[in-house]
Amino acid sequence: MRQPRSGPGKRRGRGPRIPAATLQKQKTALANVDQITGAKIPKSFVFSRGKLPSTLRHLQQDLRKVMLPYTALNLKEKKRNNLKDFVNVAGPMGVTHFLILSNPQSLPHLRFAKSPQGPTFTFQIEEYSLAADIANSQKRPRCPPGIFKNSPLVVLGGLTGLGNPFRSLVEYFQHMFPSVDPTTVKLATCQRILLLKHDKEKDVIEFRHYSIKLQPVGVSRRIRKLMQNNQVPDLGEFEDVSEFVKKAGYGSESEADDEAAMVSLPSDIDKLNRASRKSAVRLQEIGPRMTMRLVKVEAGLCSGDVLYPWPVEKEVVGKKGTETGEVEGQEDDSEATDESEDEMV
Amino acid sequence: MAASPQTLSAPPPAAAAVPNLGGKRKRQPKGKKNKKNKLARSDQDDSVRRRRNKPSAKFLKLLRKRARDYNSDDEDEAGDDRQQEHLPNPQRRVDEDDDEALSHSEPEEGEDEDEEEGASSSAVTRFEQGCRAFRVAFLKIMAKKLPDDPLGPILSAHKTLVAAKLAEEVEEHKPKREARKEKRVAAEKGHVIPKDHLDSKEKELIKVATKGVVRLFNAVSKAQKSRKDLNPSRTKDATVIAKERKNTFLSELEMPSHQDKKRNTSSNFSKHAVKDEDEPAWAPLRDTYMLGSKLKDWDKMKDSSAVSEEKKVPSIDSSDEE
Repeated sequence: MRQPRSGPGKRRGRGPRIPAATLQKQKTALANVDQITGAKIPKSFVFSRGKLPSTLRHLQQDLRKVMLPYTALNLKEKKRNNLKDFVNVAGPMGVTHFLILSNPQSLPHLRFAKSPQGPTFTFQIEEYSLAADIANSQKRPRCPPGIFKNSPLVVLGGLTGLGNPFRSLVEYFQHMFPSVDPTTVKLATCQRILLLKHDKEKDVIEFRHYSIKLQPVGVSRRIRKLMQNNQVPDLGEFEDVSEFVKKAGYGSESEADDEAAMVSLPSDIDKLNRASRKSAVRLQEIGPRMTMRLVKVEAGLCSGDVLYPWPVEKEVVGKKGTETGEVEGQEDDSEATDESEDEMV
Repeated sequence: MAASPQTLSAPPPAAAAVPNLGGKRKRQPKGKKNKKNKLARSDQDDSVRRRRNKPSAKFLKLLRKRARDYNSDDEDEAGDDRQQEHLPNPQRRVDEDDDEALSHSEPEEGEDEDEEEGASSSAVTRFEQGCRAFRVAFLKIMAKKLPDDPLGPILSAHKTLVAAKLAEEVEEHKPKREARKEKRVAAEKGHVIPKDHLDSKEKELIKVATKGVVRLFNAVSKAQKSRKDLNPSRTKDATVIAKERKNTFLSELEMPSHQDKKRNTSSNFSKHAVKDEDEPAWAPLRDTYMLGSKLKDWDKMKDSSAVSEEKKVPSIDSSDEE
């Protein structure tokens, strides 16, 4: 109990020796803890190691948007910053998850790490598309700014019944976002979804980000548009208002007939989607889009024992030895640099 | 006034020209002696006369030739009237010279005549020299043989230099272009621009995500409906609500007994509200630890763990094959 509270207290207090006021302690405690379930809210940093080209920098920014609202959207790092700086800053702020982008010679890498003690999952990004690319490929891209005020839901597919690294990976992804309490959650706040689907044949994980849209079933297109837009329609062609209401729309309504995509809502969400009525769930991609392959699992934070892939033959062990030597060399270089505080906006 | 007496006196000096010349020859030494004694200017006049006397015949011939050339140019340019006008000029000059010899009061006129003659001679010589130089240069240029080029003979010697410079520039730019291309390709490795945002693969993924969302929404609606039936005014419902609140508070205090209960209830849903304690780094990755802590009371799950253990081996083999 003391350890998690003393950290934020130090952060808010004027000095390390002066104890912070009780009110401030309570505020910080409430900020870091979900007010209903009492669980800690996981926060994250998305940053890069080394120099990134412009497309990867855009990808980093898109990932920060995915992790909103519990992430630093305008985090800036210097060349001299090393991993210890981020760990030291993350402690008092309650940041527990790191997403680290890097660009080695082969393919860009994305590390999912837990602060301060690990583990670290290293993925190789085989293919990626930016949010702007996906928006350009759609006729009507939908990305209202309000959907980023709440954290996304997580859907994991194809990850059950696998070996140990994927099991711990499931745990990591489940805890990367705050948990959802079925008894108290409001469905109006669930507007985004993050899909992580594992393809067993290719052994890759697909990373997709969608926006959730609810449409009422059984209402014609014209009535729905009228209720949504609050604009007076053009009735010049009709002799009577009933013609406007009765005439059937020619839009594509085939998806609405799918029974699997219908839900019944416990409470009113907006003017159209009411309680005790059926609504259709429609997903539209926001981006970014990634195809990742799990390459390495380390016990610590970008250090420690390599737990995956398993060493089987001596040749493999020899190769790993050289790799670990290289990694240690890099760490030594990073440690040699002076520590400097990170600028937070 | 001055012209008329000259014209009147013209025939007598012309008639007396020949004997006067002889007279000059005889009397000249006497006049010279007298002038030297009298004035310095007279000395200059004497020197001029000496020069004239020595090359007299040759000098006169030159004068006549130049006069003829000059008059011939004038004749070509102008008409006959000008010729008549110019004809008496040399006579007047000769007469003037005689006057100078006879009378000592007009030395300046002689000087003027000398100046005019010098100017005309220098102009003629310069023009002739220019003509010769131009002729020589023109002949030299026309003697050259140049290759037939569309650009013509202008700067033909430097054309090769310009071409060489251009070739050098192109050669310099090629490696730079290649380097830029390599940088761009390396920067955009893995970056794929989707042509159509809904192909078969994406549709399948959207189906999976939709199933997840529908499942979650239905679970939420069930839970909240059951909760709506409760009414805080009733005693039984109030106790149930109070129990829920107490559970929330105790979970906030991180009591282990209630954690187990929540875990059991949360296992029904796809998402688990399991808290993360400050656990050591190695502990969460041990199978026994995770299974033991979570699944103490479930005998069936142990069998599934055994199945998962068996599945590990083929995954390793597949990784080796890859």
